[in-house]
Amino acid sequence: MRDKKHWPLACVFGTIALCLPLAGADAAGIDSQNFGQVERGHYLTVVGDCAACHTLPGSGHAFAGGRPIETPFGTLFAPNITPDPTTGIGAWTDDEFVNALTKGTGRNGTRLYPAMPYTYYTRLTRDDALAIRSYLNSIPAVDNPVQVDQLPFPFSMRWTLAVWDQLFFTPGTFHPDPNKSAEWNRGAYLAEGPGHCGMCHTPKNFLGADETSQKLQGYALQGWFAPNITDDARRGLGGWSVDDIVAYLKTGHNKTSAATGLMSETLNLSTSKMSDEDLKAIAVYLKDQSAGGNANKTASADPPDQAVMKAGAQIYADECAGCHAADGKGEARLFPSLNGSPVVQQTDPTTILHVVLRGALSVATKPAPTAPAMPQFAWILNDDEVAAVVTYIRNSWGNSAPPVTASQVEKTRQMLLERSD
Amino acid sequence: MLLINRRQLLGSSAIALLLSLQSARAAIIKGGLPWIPGAADPPTRVTPDGWQFFNAQEAAAVEAFVDRLIPADELSPGGKDCGCAVFIDRQLAGPYGRFAGYYMSGPFQEGTKQQGPQSPITPAQHYRKALAALDAACRDKFGGKVFADLNDAQKDEAIGGLEHGTFKLGGTDSQEFFKLILKDTQNGFLADPIYGGNRDLAAWKMIGFPGTHYDYRAWIDRHNQRVTLPAIGIADHPNWSL
Repeated sequence: MRDKKHWPLACVFGTIALCLPLAGADAAGIDSQNFGQVERGHYLTVVGDCAACHTLPGSGHAFAGGRPIETPFGTLFAPNITPDPTTGIGAWTDDEFVNALTKGTGRNGTRLYPAMPYTYYTRLTRDDALAIRSYLNSIPAVDNPVQVDQLPFPFSMRWTLAVWDQLFFTPGTFHPDPNKSAEWNRGAYLAEGPGHCGMCHTPKNFLGADETSQKLQGYALQGWFAPNITDDARRGLGGWSVDDIVAYLKTGHNKTSAATGLMSETLNLSTSKMSDEDLKAIAVYLKDQSAGGNANKTASADPPDQAVMKAGAQIYADECAGCHAADGKGEARLFPSLNGSPVVQQTDPTTILHVVLRGALSVATKPAPTAPAMPQFAWILNDDEVAAVVTYIRNSWGNSAPPVTASQVEKTRQMLLERSD
Repeated sequence: MLLINRRQLLGSSAIALLLSLQSARAAIIKGGLPWIPGAADPPTRVTPDGWQFFNAQEAAAVEAFVDRLIPADELSPGGKDCGCAVFIDRQLAGPYGRFAGYYMSGPFQEGTKQQGPQSPITPAQHYRKALAALDAACRDKFGGKVFADLNDAQKDEAIGGLEHGTFKLGGTDSQEFFKLILKDTQNGFLADPIYGGNRDLAAWKMIGFPGTHYDYRAWIDRHNQRVTLPAIGIADHPNWSL
């Protein structure tokens, strides 16, 4: 708490500042006494979910870095972004900060790894970037050196990132679409900028860059499948109203669904703390995202094997129907509906297999603190049985998704055994 | 005047300290309910190989005994084929065998019937003693044959004698032993097959109990109708096979 000894002084200045007429937001720079700017910056760090990577859970040191970030190429460690001048970013100029955030350039011209979502933050206005800076200036400095680069060769060679940026990075602030409403544009700015939804929900190519042609159509990461969040009626948000999306982002629950896995953390740290207006704007924007040519397609021409479906139906009746009900509709706000569920019908079955094999805890938020959980079924269902019941769930009550094979179950089981989280 | 010597005082203080240290420490739960991914505490499935408590002679006697208590007929296979002896063996080898759930430190006094078992003898000790006594008593009465080697009529005679207290077991209350093995056999016959008895769900099929289906809500209002669901157990699901 290096700031503590300056408290009396700060109080004096604070009082003086309150007595002065408000200078108004200075778009050109940062004024540590501009509390509106600091507060807006705070809100933007929430929208940007900076804490998800830059705060090590349980450390008690906000934004002091050190959290391991799992990528397909190895593990990175998020840097310290507190104002500590040696181990944090206290010595950085505002321009250096804005460049890091929006251009992916570190100090001294090094490139940041795109695990830092500068590919999204580039859409931030300079004003908003400076607001974030002013908030980060206001938090306690923590002395915590972090060794960020711990990737294996060849990803350890940072100069290659310049090539990556050439190929996949389009810098530039957000341009509103004049043909859309102000609300839509606000949603687009939040989702495509600070909110960086696509970081998890957009498929990636072999170098980890967004497949922009399949924007928001779902991506497998860290043992889960971040589902399609386009307006696709079967696999996306097509069946959800704007209010359903807002309720989900605000509370983690709506009448058919409950958040779990990686989204739990995003909910806790970010979306549950966002304003209702902003959540609605995001919902309006997402509802306008076309699913492209794959929209609402049934899974395959071949219906699933009837013997598998019959065994799956028996297993479902014996093990699942107690909570999720015979018609798959569950109980509103308690047990998620599988009937029509987009998560269940993702082409990639990672999430449904994860939940069946390991169980799941839904997120607890202030408005919805119960957090119903599901037990695991790995102890009682073998690979064939999991494949049968999951195939049944994915192809009943009007659902349609590719059948799941026992070898897919076996692979997921193995993957989960190797994951400690 | 109370006289407490130094040793008593120290001793009682130590006990008081121990009790206060062991007093419940409630966990503080914040945010959401605690939950661990992948956690499960499933029962271990009993496999019918070998004996864990009985020796070969005891096992033969118990198998013969349960097969007369539940003889094979058109309703169900016999107690032996249903695994009742295996069930009893595993129970006696486990916590039930040593009355782990009971206060067993005495003093032991004869209680009223309502006060439940008051004996220092555990079920495991009870079986060990009574089975030896049973074979000895059978040898005396049936020309040197142990219980397992008797014919069905002789077995029934011996069992009937135990039930009515007319066939004495040296050192053990024959009626008490009859009650014990009858109850344990019934438990084995009707318990979930995961515990070794009720093999192939034979008992549940016999009485029309469909078993451990999770959800019976669809049947709640269907009074006086036979439930047509197939019988299943915790780990026995003939209906799941492809």
